[in-house]
Amino acid sequence: MTSLLSLRNVSKSYHDGGREIVVLDAVSLDIDPGVSMGVYGNRRSGKSTLLRLAAGIELADTGSVRFDGRDLATMSAGERGRLLRGEIAFMSAQDWRATPGETVLDHVATALGSEGLTMREAKRRALGTLEQVGLGAAGAEEMAAGLSLAGRTRVMLARALAREPRLLVVDEPALMPGIGDRDRFYALLRSAAQQRGMALLMASEEMAALQGVAVLASIADGELCSTEERGTVVRLPGRRRAGGERAER
Amino acid sequence: MVNGSAENTKWMRGPSTPLRGALLGLLLERPGHGGDLANRLAARLGETWRVDTNDVYRLLEQLEKTGLAVSRDEPKRGNHRRTHLVYHPTDASAEALTLWMETLLPREPVRLALQAKLSVARQQDAPLVQIALKAYERECLLLAQLVHPSDGEARSWPALCMDCTRDAVYAQLQTEVNWAMRTRQRINEFMGSSR
Repeated sequence: MTSLLSLRNVSKSYHDGGREIVVLDAVSLDIDPGVSMGVYGNRRSGKSTLLRLAAGIELADTGSVRFDGRDLATMSAGERGRLLRGEIAFMSAQDWRATPGETVLDHVATALGSEGLTMREAKRRALGTLEQVGLGAAGAEEMAAGLSLAGRTRVMLARALAREPRLLVVDEPALMPGIGDRDRFYALLRSAAQQRGMALLMASEEMAALQGVAVLASIADGELCSTEERGTVVRLPGRRRAGGERAER
Repeated sequence: MVNGSAENTKWMRGPSTPLRGALLGLLLERPGHGGDLANRLAARLGETWRVDTNDVYRLLEQLEKTGLAVSRDEPKRGNHRRTHLVYHPTDASAEALTLWMETLLPREPVRLALQAKLSVARQQDAPLVQIALKAYERECLLLAQLVHPSDGEARSWPALCMDCTRDAVYAQLQTEVNWAMRTRQRINEFMGSSR
């Protein structure tokens, strides 16, 4: 299978005064269509930079980032912007911006502005997505600016999903919902990705936020340690293991 | 408060106590044969515990010796001509479980092998230590990947207990991964500055 997203020996540095700070050092990873990956790391470990490079928001200093075989470095800024508004969706708690007086439905529908849909069609699609994230017709008419943290998170997810992306990139999901809603939000992310066959790339300081991903990695000192290293089989010590039932919920 | 005399807490000695305690709790929920109890234990604790069926049989025998379980040869379900050993709780089991819940046990040591290596590593061993640390980090990530994700809100007592058990696993593995990452980073920094 061809990878949907492929990073090869990607490096990125910043300059802090006269010092060069290496944020990513020859990082490689692959994400197949429909597969979820979680990157665990502490603050300033380079995980947000990794996500921004994967989504085409920033470009790597060296190495290649390919989405569906296309090298992002060879695309114009406009083409990368269209990719980010179409096949790739990027979610981050800092990105919440609601216009005063705007309803939730309008807020989600305006994300479809570049899709060539009429406003009526856009609203119909937006409503379907809002229902998927647990906000029905009643929630759609609420004022976006007055939403709780948990409500905002669902609307941000609906806005990202409305464009039917092939890859959803989520930076720090643990910061998005209220604490009591975290497990529900993580479950919602997983089910939305599964139902749509969408690939998911998340990064968090909380390992629990990455539960249920197919591939888990950690990042420190610009270096990625992944449970899936292509060509390498990692085996757990072989013992006769028991397994079976799960508790009823 | 139950009687915590030395005799009553004797079964709580040794590194297998957590598994013995959990088995006792499962027996009190309903009796079962060794394989059934091993499966229930693995489901309850999660993959990270790597519950070994042979260990479960051994622990059940220990519980029986201390009078906290009793086994009986009973016909197999679906094949009445064949029998298997089914373990039941005894009159002392419920009180023993309560006593275990009340007892604060010392924390068990972790990552023994790596600590031992680090404690005597020579500077020329740094690359080997880094490899061992990365392998350990990857193993912790693999274990975290095996944990069943939460479905959201826990609506029953067993589901709540399982969610909290999973949280404990994540918290523990996160700490271990952090330690491995930090140690790799510190060794890198040291080796960089001593060049």
